[in-house]
Amino acid sequence: MPELSAQPPAEDRLVLLPKNPGTFFVFWQFSAGRADAFRSSSFASEIELRLSYSDDNSQAGTHRAAWQAGRAYLPAGRGGACVAALYALRNGAWEKLLESNQAFAPAPAGMAADRAYASMEFLKRSQP
Amino acid sequence: MSSRGSLMFLLHAHLPYVNHPQDSAFLEESWFFEAVVETYVPLISVLERLSAEGIRPGVTISISPTLGAMLENEALERKLGLYVESRLELLEKELERAKDDPALLKVVQLYHDLYAEAAELLHKYSGDLITPLKALQHAGQIEIITTAATHAVLPLLARPEAVRAQLAVAAEDYQDRFNRKAAGFWLPECAYEPRLNSYLKLSGFDYTFMESHAVEAAGEQAPNGVYSPYRTSNGLGLFARDAASSREVWSAKFGYPGDPAYREFYRDYGYDGDLEYLRPYLGNDGARRPLGLKYHRITGPGADLSAKQYYDPDEALARVDAHASDFLDRRQRQTDDFYSARGGRPLIVSCYDAELFGHWWFEGPAFLEAVIRRIRTERLPLQFVTPTEYLNSCQEPQEISPGISSWGENGYFDPWVNETNDFIYPAVYAATDKMIETANRYRNQDLNSLSTRALNQAARETLLSQSSDWAFLLYIGSHADYAKGRLEDHSANALRLLSEVIEKKVDEQALAALERKNCVFPRIDFRIFASVSKF
Repeated sequence: MPELSAQPPAEDRLVLLPKNPGTFFVFWQFSAGRADAFRSSSFASEIELRLSYSDDNSQAGTHRAAWQAGRAYLPAGRGGACVAALYALRNGAWEKLLESNQAFAPAPAGMAADRAYASMEFLKRSQP
Repeated sequence: MSSRGSLMFLLHAHLPYVNHPQDSAFLEESWFFEAVVETYVPLISVLERLSAEGIRPGVTISISPTLGAMLENEALERKLGLYVESRLELLEKELERAKDDPALLKVVQLYHDLYAEAAELLHKYSGDLITPLKALQHAGQIEIITTAATHAVLPLLARPEAVRAQLAVAAEDYQDRFNRKAAGFWLPECAYEPRLNSYLKLSGFDYTFMESHAVEAAGEQAPNGVYSPYRTSNGLGLFARDAASSREVWSAKFGYPGDPAYREFYRDYGYDGDLEYLRPYLGNDGARRPLGLKYHRITGPGADLSAKQYYDPDEALARVDAHASDFLDRRQRQTDDFYSARGGRPLIVSCYDAELFGHWWFEGPAFLEAVIRRIRTERLPLQFVTPTEYLNSCQEPQEISPGISSWGENGYFDPWVNETNDFIYPAVYAATDKMIETANRYRNQDLNSLSTRALNQAARETLLSQSSDWAFLLYIGSHADYAKGRLEDHSANALRLLSEVIEKKVDEQALAALERKNCVFPRIDFRIFASVSKF
C-alpha cells in the first residue's frame, strides 16, 4: 500500500470519516513522544478503537489493531452520529488516549442498482 | 402551448488546478487544453449562437474556482494558444495526408474546424473565456454558480474551520470573477451531510443541489420526490438530481454516448500515427501521448480499438437529432405521468459534469443545442429554467431533512475513501490542522508583509491539498503518481511555510516560486482558517 512521507505530528490525532452506510474510516497518528511510549512497551502494541453512538453513548463496536497500523475501517452499527475513541493497554488496564470528531454514517437509501453516477462509467472503460 | 413541467440543466465544470509554468509541455496541463477546445469553446459557441437567435438557453453552469483560475491564468492562456496553434499546424499536414481518403478527410476536416473555432473564440476574447460566460449571465441567458474552493468532498473535512474556508473562499472568488454574489453552490461530488446547511447559509448561498436519494431519504417529508425543490430548516433551497435523465446521458452502456456512430474516446492519433511525423507535437520526452485527435467512431459494442471505423460527422449528427428527440419524449412522459398522478407541474433537474459534453461525449454540445432548439421550435410544453428563476416563481418549498449522500459510485463516499487512497488523509489533516492552529495564533497579530504572504500561501496550499481530485485519480488508477505527488507537495508546502513563519525564517525566493506556481485565490486571507473568523 502506498504511503506518503510524513513526520510525526506535534499532537496525537484521531479522525473518523464516513465511508458508506455500513462503514466508517478512522485514522490515527501519534506524536513522537507517544510513539516512543509504544516502542518502549509502556503501552501494549495493540490499540483498541471503540465506536459509540453520540445520541446515547452506547457502544457500536470495537476493533483492535497494531498501534503502527494508523488506519482501520469500522462497521457503523446502526449508523447515525458516532464518535471513535482510541484506547491503549498500560499495566493491564485500558487507557483512553484519544477521542475523534463526531461523524455521521449515512442511512441506506435503497438505491436502484442500475443508477448511473457521475462520470465513473466513462472513466472505468478500458483504456488502450 | 403552456408548460406542463420545467427542465433544469446544470453543467458542472471543474478541473483540478494544474499549472506548471516551468514546463513547456506538461502532460496534465493537456487536460485543461483539451477541455477548452472540446468542451468550453463548443458550449460557449452553442450558448452564444442560441442567444443571438433569440433562443434563451436558460442553462445553469457551475464553474469551480480552480477552473476559473486556470481560465484566467495568463501563462496557461499563452500555452493554450500555442497548443491550439500546434494542433492546427498538424491538422494542416493531416488534411494533405488525408486528401485521397474521403472518409479520413471528413473527420480531419472536422477537427480542423474545431481547432479553428477555438482559435477564433480565444482570439475574440483575448484568451479569457470567463468574459463570454460573464456576458451571457449578465444578459440573463444563463446562470453561473460556484462550488467549493478546491472541490473538496466537504463531508470528509471533519474540522468546521476547513469547511468554512472552502465555502468562504469560493464565495469571495465568485464575487471577484463575476462581479456579483453567488446564489447557488454545487456541492463537490454532490456530497451532502446535514452540518453543511448552516455553513452554506452563512456563506451567503441561497440554494444547492443534491443526489436523488438525499431527498428520497427524507421519506414523507418529500412527497414529490425529486420533482420539486425543497428547503432546509434554515431556508437553504434544495434541488435534487433526477436519476433517469442523468442515466440516459451518463451511462456508457445504456446512454446515448455509447451509440456506435459517436466518436470513440480511447483511440487517439497520438498512439496511431507515425512517431517521427508526430514527434514535434508530443511532449519534451518524445513519448507517445494523447493528442486529442480521435478519428474513429465507437463502431459497435465491444469492438476492439484496432477494428474501429472512421468517424462520420454526418451520421453522428443524425443520431444527435434522434437522441435529442428521445430525451425530450422521455421528459414529456415524465411530466405527463407526474401530472396524471399528482396534478402538478414537475421540475426535472438534470445535472452533468460539463466535461462530459464535448470531451468525453464529443457530440454532447450538439445534443444540448438540439434539445434547447427543439423545445423552442416545436413549442414543446417544457421550459428551461434556472434555479433562481424557479425559486422566485414557485411556492414556498417544503422543508425536509435530506440524507447523507453523494453522486459517486454506490451513492456515498466510497470513491474517495477506500484502500487505494485512504493513505492521503493523514497528510491532508496534518496541513489542515496546522493551518487552523497557526491562523488562530496569528489572526490578531500585526505581521510583516513576508509572514503574511507566507501564511496566505500556506492557506492556498492547504486548500489545494483538500481537492477531491487526488483521491479520485488514485481510485481509478489514472495519473496516480501525479495525484500522489500533488497531494504530498501541497501538504508539505503548507507545513513548511507555517513552520517558517513560526520560526521567523521565511525563504522569500521559495515563497515567490510557490506564489507563481500555485497562484489561486489572489485575495485570500489566511485568517479564513481561524476558528472564529471574520466570516
